[in-house]
Amino acid sequence: MKNYIIRRIIQMIPVFLGILFILFFILEQAPGTPVSNMMDPKMTPAQKAELAQKLGLDIPWYKRFINWIGEALKGNLGYSIKHKKPVTQVIGDYAGATLLLALISLVISILIGIPAGVISATKQYTVADNMLTVISFIGISIPSFFFGLLLLKFFAVDIQIFPLFGLRDPLLMSTNQFDKIKDMAWHLVLPSIVLGLNSTASFMRYTRSSMLEVIKQDYIRTARAKGLKEKTVIYRHAFRNAVIPIITLLGFWIPGLLSGAVVTETIFALPGLGKISVEATLTRNYPLILGINAMLAVLTLIGALVADLLYAIADPRIRYD
Amino acid sequence: MKTRRILSLLLAVMMVVTLFAGCTSQTNQPAPPAPEDGEESEQEEQPPAEQPKGDKILKFGGSGWGGLFNPVMTDNVYDSYVCDLIFEHLVNNDIEGEFIPELAEWIVSEDHLTYTFTLKDGIKFADGTPLTTADVEFTYKTIAHPKYDGPRAYAVSDLVGYEEYHGGATDVFEGIKVIDEKTISFIFPEGSAAPANIQCFVYGIMPKHYYEFENWEDFLALNEDPLGSGVLVFDSWAPKEFIKLMKNENYWDPANALKFDGILMSEVPDESILSALQTNQIDLAQISSSADNLEAAEAMDNIHLFNYLGNGYTFMCFNCIRPQLEDVRVRQALIYALDRESFIEAQYGAGLAEVGMAPISPSSWAFPDASELNPYSFDMEKAAKLMDEAGWKMESDKFRYKDGQKMHIKWLVYTDASWPATLAGMAADTWKQLGVDLEIELMDFETVADRTMDAEVGEKDFDIYTMGFSLDIDPDPTGALFDDNAYVKGGFNASGYKNAEAMELVARGKAEFDQEKRAVIYKEWAKIMNQEIPHTIVAYRKEIFGCSNRVKGMEIDTNKTFVQSIREVSIE
Repeated sequence: MKNYIIRRIIQMIPVFLGILFILFFILEQAPGTPVSNMMDPKMTPAQKAELAQKLGLDIPWYKRFINWIGEALKGNLGYSIKHKKPVTQVIGDYAGATLLLALISLVISILIGIPAGVISATKQYTVADNMLTVISFIGISIPSFFFGLLLLKFFAVDIQIFPLFGLRDPLLMSTNQFDKIKDMAWHLVLPSIVLGLNSTASFMRYTRSSMLEVIKQDYIRTARAKGLKEKTVIYRHAFRNAVIPIITLLGFWIPGLLSGAVVTETIFALPGLGKISVEATLTRNYPLILGINAMLAVLTLIGALVADLLYAIADPRIRYD
Repeated sequence: MKTRRILSLLLAVMMVVTLFAGCTSQTNQPAPPAPEDGEESEQEEQPPAEQPKGDKILKFGGSGWGGLFNPVMTDNVYDSYVCDLIFEHLVNNDIEGEFIPELAEWIVSEDHLTYTFTLKDGIKFADGTPLTTADVEFTYKTIAHPKYDGPRAYAVSDLVGYEEYHGGATDVFEGIKVIDEKTISFIFPEGSAAPANIQCFVYGIMPKHYYEFENWEDFLALNEDPLGSGVLVFDSWAPKEFIKLMKNENYWDPANALKFDGILMSEVPDESILSALQTNQIDLAQISSSADNLEAAEAMDNIHLFNYLGNGYTFMCFNCIRPQLEDVRVRQALIYALDRESFIEAQYGAGLAEVGMAPISPSSWAFPDASELNPYSFDMEKAAKLMDEAGWKMESDKFRYKDGQKMHIKWLVYTDASWPATLAGMAADTWKQLGVDLEIELMDFETVADRTMDAEVGEKDFDIYTMGFSLDIDPDPTGALFDDNAYVKGGFNASGYKNAEAMELVARGKAEFDQEKRAVIYKEWAKIMNQEIPHTIVAYRKEIFGCSNRVKGMEIDTNKTFVQSIREVSIE
């Protein structure tokens, strides 16, 4: 197992470098520079050119690439052009809210989606199954901006029980930590519902189809024939086998925890990485785009590895030696 | 059967819910019933005993704070609001657009080249340190510093000795002379006397003892922890969440101190601005100007509105070196064939914008009498006639040709804002009738800038592009869209149109100190540009601010931001 992990990590290095190279190349090919959106009408062309030179834009891109890799190895991802501070700090500023929101919605969707999927599969074609199916299709197809605005209209404008925007109430002067946590939780209710709905629905559908497939297997019939209780059959024998495709899904979810949900973050005015990365792209903030994407690339690679390792835990037949 | 019935019931309920939500947005909302109100305030202000000041906080909503709370670094309007509240300037302006003393009185020498400022008595920064000319010198030297990478270089780049100091050749900036603790002179070189030079002194003064730096990075690190002399002091900021400013209790001029406790600026998305005003979660916000928003805002009885002309315009740039567009008659024909009245109604709503004519804000003293300008009212016949006169004849395929070349026009449209696409979409219809083969290319703002202004002179790859432009109080157009010398890579003039006579007027207007004579010069210049239209001014737009009725004394207008009004404001 240990050797396997080490081997996998060594394999990741060239893949990661390849991803960075492609990222750098695509950014280089995109029209526009970080200076072209500095549209202060009084700036002269010479002053603009000087700024570009200070940002190192006059150096050939492959040299910048090599410099960047060298610095990144030392933990320096450069300066965010717009924020005028180190990229690592900018990511740190915004990662908290994104991670919190994503974790809550992930927990919600696992806790609701997977059991609902199991019920849906074991009670196939009953009223319960049909209801869950309809709800999950609504969940998958309703656009999150619309669902979010709908919730805001009902719960924040009409009956005003939830706040309209933000992550907390800045005027809350209480020094009691519990009050602060309560306040933040209150602000996160609607965004978590919006963000969780879609993933809950997909978890439900994946679990359902995967369970349905397993239930038809011979070994389930054998388990039943042995006279095991239905609960044991479903949760010990069937579910354990059905969970493998879901683990793959979870592996892909890891980078999602930090990539941010642009629409949800925008509608609820939450300080997340999703909005920042869109902004960075629109203003050609190269160091920040690179920093965020490099981080996501690492997380994707780790997610794949974690999923592979979890297979071995879920299925004793899978061994990595 | 049973399940199907349940399903259809469910769907029906969903549909009603959707419909309901769609119809009742914003307008005619009954006031929320009292009990819910109680619940809400319970949530918002939990321990009332610990929060006696919460009521007197002005809550401002908007989006786009970037965290550069430094008067020489800030590059967007929301960050500048924060800076202008925390810092004070040598010079400010009144509602008429006249420059008035803020921290200092000034005199200008006979030759209009030396500006000497005398600081008022007793000015102190929020930490109690006196503000002296050393701080003024430090602020302006920072902008001229060799390491400076902010957008404000033009405030010092015209002063004597800038090149030497900025290049790092010397530590002495000749153009800035500290005379004593209260008096400082700024010297412009021979030949650059201009009334617009006063605009160099509208930036916030920073305390030297606080901002003085060894490394540029150390200076930047203070962007999120500003210290100034203004009526508010910085309290806290959470990126993309809020900025909290509190009253400066030690303000040096107690008679003019803030009349309430502080300002909370919250990040509120555009979609929620109206709802937030309606539910009193914010007191003040800019409302994006559209007929729907205006109607909804007018229907709310807890706020009052400020509806004023913005100091700027949207424009359409013609690439005048292209054979299709070099003839002024073709440019005029295209504008005649563009129904801008309908565009304004469709895009903004009647009354929320005016058809653009001259490259000067209608609020300015330099704006000519509208009757002397051509509004290019929609007229397809006139457009066709002008095209014919210019030699572009309609052929059997319904397109116009001249010397075998088809009238083909490529319009770069950015989708970051919606108006360019609306305008281009309307043009696609009417220009087709005129015989123009219009190709619309959609892209983002950066790409438009890259292919127009930021491209080398021979590589400007467009026929038409559209953009918005904001203006200074002073109408001097040097360096901007209509300046022949700005037709370079990175310059603002991408049209390639040159006119020595117009440039002569611009130069005369820039150096003229008698405002009446200046107005005559600019009016003449505006008429030429209205005739030649290398850039057509598409529209002048209105801006709307909504303000809670509990806020008294607020005044917002073209030349007055809410920040400039803040000392007059009180909160009930």
